[in-house]
Amino acid sequence: MVVEEFPNFLEWVGPGLLLLLGISVAGAILGIFLGYVVASFKHGPFEAFYVVAKVISEAIPDAFGTSPRRILAIARLSIKEAMRRRVILVTFAIFAGALLFGGWFMNAGSDNPDQIYVNFVLWGTQLLILLMGMLISAFSLPEDIKNKTIYTIVTKPVRATEIVIGRIFGFGALATALLALMALISFAFVWRGLSHDHEIVDSQKVSAFYDIDPETRLSNRGKRVSPNAIKAAETTFESGHRHRVELVEDIRKPDEKQPEDTSNIVSQTIGPDGQIIYHRVIVIPTAGHTHRVTINGTGDDATVELGPATGYFRARVPVYSDGIQFFDRQGAPNKRGIDVGKEWGYRGYVDGGSRLAPNSLSKADFMFSDFDASVLGDETILPLEMSLGVFRTYKGDIEKRVIGSIQFESVPEDPASQNRFQSDSIVFETNEFQIQTLPISRKQPGRLIAPDGSTIEQGVFDLFDDYAKNKKLNLVLRCEDYNQYIGVARADVYFRATDDLYWANFFKGYLGIWCQMMVVIAMGVSFSTFLSAPITMLATIVTMIVGFFTPFIRTMTQEDVAGGGPIESLFRLVTQKNMEVTLETGIGTTLMEQSDNLLVGGLSTLTYLAPNFAQMNFADFLTYGYSIDSQRLLVAIALTLAFCFGLSILGYFCLKTREIAK
Amino acid sequence: MSTDTPVKDDKPRRLEQSNPDYDPNIVVEAQNLTKVYRDFWGRQKVRALQALDLEIKKGEIFGLLGPNGSGKSTTIKLLLGLLFPTSGRALVFGKDASEVSKNERIGYLPEESYLYKFLTAEETLDFYGRLFDMPAKVRKERVNALIEKVGLTWAKRRQLKEYSKGMTRRIGLAQALINDPDLILLDEPTSGLDPLGTREMKDMIIELRDQGKTVVMCSHLLADVQDVCDRIAILYQGELKELGRVDSLLKVSDETQVLAKGLTPEAYDDIRAAVAKHGGEVLGIDNPKSTLEDLFLDIVRESQARPGHRTSRADGSSD
Repeated sequence: MVVEEFPNFLEWVGPGLLLLLGISVAGAILGIFLGYVVASFKHGPFEAFYVVAKVISEAIPDAFGTSPRRILAIARLSIKEAMRRRVILVTFAIFAGALLFGGWFMNAGSDNPDQIYVNFVLWGTQLLILLMGMLISAFSLPEDIKNKTIYTIVTKPVRATEIVIGRIFGFGALATALLALMALISFAFVWRGLSHDHEIVDSQKVSAFYDIDPETRLSNRGKRVSPNAIKAAETTFESGHRHRVELVEDIRKPDEKQPEDTSNIVSQTIGPDGQIIYHRVIVIPTAGHTHRVTINGTGDDATVELGPATGYFRARVPVYSDGIQFFDRQGAPNKRGIDVGKEWGYRGYVDGGSRLAPNSLSKADFMFSDFDASVLGDETILPLEMSLGVFRTYKGDIEKRVIGSIQFESVPEDPASQNRFQSDSIVFETNEFQIQTLPISRKQPGRLIAPDGSTIEQGVFDLFDDYAKNKKLNLVLRCEDYNQYIGVARADVYFRATDDLYWANFFKGYLGIWCQMMVVIAMGVSFSTFLSAPITMLATIVTMIVGFFTPFIRTMTQEDVAGGGPIESLFRLVTQKNMEVTLETGIGTTLMEQSDNLLVGGLSTLTYLAPNFAQMNFADFLTYGYSIDSQRLLVAIALTLAFCFGLSILGYFCLKTREIAK
Repeated sequence: MSTDTPVKDDKPRRLEQSNPDYDPNIVVEAQNLTKVYRDFWGRQKVRALQALDLEIKKGEIFGLLGPNGSGKSTTIKLLLGLLFPTSGRALVFGKDASEVSKNERIGYLPEESYLYKFLTAEETLDFYGRLFDMPAKVRKERVNALIEKVGLTWAKRRQLKEYSKGMTRRIGLAQALINDPDLILLDEPTSGLDPLGTREMKDMIIELRDQGKTVVMCSHLLADVQDVCDRIAILYQGELKELGRVDSLLKVSDETQVLAKGLTPEAYDDIRAAVAKHGGEVLGIDNPKSTLEDLFLDIVRESQARPGHRTSRADGSSD
């Protein structure tokens, strides 16, 4: 999963508040200026001054005079009004229809059916709820003004703040109720759509399994079986897939760790060399899940019982590093790793050297500053998950995977005087396009190195108690294949802590949709105080588009794009000059460039005014099974509150200064 | 009309304190009030009101008269702050018309009752009561009293979309009175009402005046204005053409009216002779006619008293 931002609420909120203050001040200045210009046209430049001053001076008593009872009254009215419009009903009907028939088109037997299901309900809900929020909020006030029902409201002691906030509250409450209902139904839909049971075809008895030919090691469907499989059977075909069930021989030395799960053991015998031979039944994962096996009885009478699907509904809790640092072939720190050409810029690359220069110092350091046993559940085996990209300069044996290695290092506070630990390298095969898990033992063989580089002691040291005694740990990733590159980003390598509750994570995901919905409703209400309903919808849609593509637009405005801005590009198109041709210097070119700068600056400003929906969108977390951390949620909620607040103020001034009657 | 639950007693005092020029006897004041409607480009479309100067005193029923498009509704909308004046000022209780706080003491019945059709009568009044920040208990009492007052108890749980125009006017009036206002602005109060409803509305307006409230109404139904208004202003094409007390404006000074009872036709000649003797001229001697409104109301009342009986007039001529 692509994660580019790792927000920390406390670090974020300070600059965020400053930005809000900056935007508020800029907005206030712009508002006063525009108000003055408009008032000047109507009343002349001197009278306009008093008009503007009056509006500003009335804002404070209006703010203090705002009554919760009136806000609630208008909120209640808005709810009734929206219910009457039947937009809610239509939205729910479309949603229900999509779920009823959508199941037909979803393949539960595909590689990751949980992703397909979750994606479907999330995007469906998001689209419908945002559309609905926009419709109910954009039409309400203009309709009230058109029908003149607003006359009986504004002639009561009702402040413009109450009209705007009441509407945001009312529509928000109604849409929240609908969203909650949709979330519950979606959860049930995903749960029911994916839960299924299998039985073994023909007989549940282990003795009825067919034998595996040790020569071919193929199942009766011609598939390669596990290396230690001795018998196999098949499950019934359910939800578009079937599993192969294997009876495997698991031989362990007495001093080795014995299997923890004993429910799937059919028999346990002692081998000639004293080793323990377990015969266990396992279900081969298909469609992103497997099933728990329970063996009832022993020997020939043993029967297999398959439990519900496991492997779906994950909410992984990744413990990310605090930063990633690349080093180039010479070992010098490098911001983005080794340049492998025009590749996706998300990952940086480390190389494995070449035959001519075998000792590449290229690596990626992941720095953990709070590596603590309590965070990772004090386990003896720590799951390290990686999703790596691979850039091959030659194909070679396509079956052979690129080899990488990881190594742990302690980070002494004073490297000049303190010893440091360094583990042996753990070599692994990369598995691009998939999340791969490396079980990392807490006890890592390595050495204690003195500041001068000499080895003091070799042995097995504890990751928490020795390597990360000061809670700081460095994880080093290297590529071990000549002329191949491993691509990695900060979010690609993490330790996995105990999973979160799936349902709780599911609702956190919906909280993200709720945040987006509230901002859209606030936009609809606020814009409708000075725009007609269709224009309000258009403005809301445009702002939403800018909001969804904020990172893209911001990058576009900040980077130096070849061919210049929109005006220069148009000029080049018309005059058939390609992007690389240098334009003649002169007034025309300068004017064009300055206009472009102004436009690009405006666009850049717009991205700060429009809500960044990417910060409120947690769809990927649910789709790929990651827990949504509280920092992200706090940022999203704070952003929502800030936007609702800002838009309410905008709505207040626009409604206050407009003539209700025509 | 129940007036036992004033919304807030200290408001007049507060207003007086905030505006030293405020004369509590002048409820509404228009100073050179002008309104020009403009199009999107700022070009003048129509001059709806031209330099109106007006004072409306406490406790009077003031009528704004004029044909369609004369500026009556514009004046009311300016007084309510629904429109902003192009120049001049509109003061209500000594406060600028655009100030929200003045609305605490105002009741407004729009030209058509622009109410939310999906609410019932009870819900409507409860909603407007909430807008005055009334506590639940007071609100409930006022809602019930007003529904009874406008005679809609039987239909209080029906949605307004099922109401006839007359019923909508009644509930519109009830919402205008929810806060027990000191100033009531009525835009065409009798439009859409049957004669019975019209009479009740007029009686209610007079009753409000008797309770010390100020009523400003605009209408083009001259009879209604004549019946209830103490003072009137006549507007034409946005300009004030006449302003004064109704009785003095309508008084025909050079004619005399004598009302007598029990005279025979022979006595008419004596009267003519007496008038001629004093140099006067008899313009006509006739039996006075009742108004159609009075006739209609008599019939309805009699029918209500004696259901099933056909009513007949005293002279024997039936309908």
